[in-house]
Amino acid sequence: MLELDDASRHYIVAGRTVAALDDVTQHFSDGSITTVVGRSGCGKTTLLRLLAGLTEPSSGRVQRAPSHSIGVVFQEARLMPWLDVAANVAFPLKKRLSEAEIADRVSDSLSLVGLTEARRALPSQLSGGMAQRVAIARALAQHPDILLLDEPFSALDAFTRRRLQGVLIDIWQERRPTVVLVTHDVEEAVLLGESVIEMESGRVVGRVPLDIPFPREATDPAVVDYRRRILARLVDGAPFSSIQNPRRNP
Amino acid sequence: MPARRILVPATVFASVILLWWLTHQAGWTNAYLLPAPAAVIEALVDLAASGLLVKHTLVSLQRVLLGFGLSVGLALPLAVLMSASRPARAVLDPLLEFARQVPPLALIPLLILWLGIGEAQKLGIIVLASFFPVFLGFRGGIDGVDTKLVEVGRVAGLSRREILTRIVLPSALPELVVGLRISLGYSWRALVGAELIASSAGLGYMIIDAENLARTDIVLAGILVIGAIGLLSDLVLRLAIGRAFPWLSPHLEAARA
Ligand SMILES: Nc1ncnc2c1ncn2[C@@H]1O[C@H](COP(=O)(O)OP(=O)(O)OP(=O)(O)O)[C@@H](O)[C@H]1O
Ligand SMILES: [Mg+2]
Repeated sequence: MLELDDASRHYIVAGRTVAALDDVTQHFSDGSITTVVGRSGCGKTTLLRLLAGLTEPSSGRVQRAPSHSIGVVFQEARLMPWLDVAANVAFPLKKRLSEAEIADRVSDSLSLVGLTEARRALPSQLSGGMAQRVAIARALAQHPDILLLDEPFSALDAFTRRRLQGVLIDIWQERRPTVVLVTHDVEEAVLLGESVIEMESGRVVGRVPLDIPFPREATDPAVVDYRRRILARLVDGAPFSSIQNPRRNP
Repeated sequence: MPARRILVPATVFASVILLWWLTHQAGWTNAYLLPAPAAVIEALVDLAASGLLVKHTLVSLQRVLLGFGLSVGLALPLAVLMSASRPARAVLDPLLEFARQVPPLALIPLLILWLGIGEAQKLGIIVLASFFPVFLGFRGGIDGVDTKLVEVGRVAGLSRREILTRIVLPSALPELVVGLRISLGYSWRALVGAELIASSAGLGYMIIDAENLARTDIVLAGILVIGAIGLLSDLVLRLAIGRAFPWLSPHLEAARA
């Protein structure tokens, strides 16, 4: 169970109250994968932080099964500068698993993100995209029940991004965590979401279910069509009713 | 790069000595006020041959290491305690802030009255002088921990204690290292101050004794030895830290005492 009930989060910025999240009610069923799109500053990170329990709502509630473990990929890599790549990936697992299990998890998830060679490097020696992949590996190695990702592929080249999008879908299909992925890339949202949540200035203004089977192709006409319509909605504010059943309506 | 890192300072030192030698050759300086380089080297050799140099150096070195060790041993737990406990901070902060304003040398008369003129008084001065840099460095490092890293620990379900030991303390290390190096430097300075006043051994004593005997060559020899040992102990500290924590290497260059 993962749910926001009338959740709001206000901040005082320079004397003015900003509603980073405004009365949001959303349910994320167990084992679902949901993507969240919206412009910069619309509250995507705030939504994720509430789900992760890192920020308390100003009003309303966040519900999460207490037994569920959480893995988070933050918008920044947030690696411990004193630990090498392998130790950073192992960081959340220490004292929770045996050393042998940790070693397996670390090498598995490093090979998933293509960083086996860099396991002994220090964070200061990594490129931005490499650091981001280490952060992804760290969250994947946890095998969390809930996986929250904040623009996890933003620093990657198009090629690596495609590959990791595929990795994420594979892992989701295999282990069925509840995934919430934030992105500002509408195509990515359409490629990865069973449903896409659209946000605008702190509010959820739409939730579009996508009945396209995984794995999806960016060139699939259905993907292209959803992408075009969500984008149009983001840019012009076209009503969501116009993007039902895109297949019948190309 | 490493060759250059040795070459440049070596050239600077060599030039200073050359200049010193030249002024002496030209007869611009009074041999009593500034003895020739050769005279100082001779004094050094004599001191070394008689065993006095080793004796005084060992006495001073022991005092510095003991005093510095005491400071570090006091400062680290205190910094952790004050960062972890609000009441401890409320009580200790004003007291320590006051104590920090008082120059250790101003306390020498009191220390002599309380602790006599033996080792305790000298260690007391070194501790007073070297405590604050390491203490403040470590506290600053702890308080300045990146909350973004702490959040990584929180979502991983780490306890408060684990967050302290696995995130806060390691991330305080760079500032701790700066504090350690400054403290070690202050220990040397304070030591010589202490030995100038009430002592019968040590490099500070050697210098003041030589002054009484009008032996400026020995005074200069003592100064050279103190400077060299200071440089050397800083180097050893840096190498030890660089070896124990390779990720700190970039910070070590920035941390000049
Ligand atoms: N800690 C904070 N203090 C003050 N204001 C905040 C804080 N966090 C977020 N905000 C404000 O809340 C709003 C939403 O921020 P949020 O980080 O959730 O946006 P976002 O959708 O993730 O943006 P981006 O795509 O640029 O990452 C912004 O107006 C921001 O200024
Ligand atoms: Mg954000």
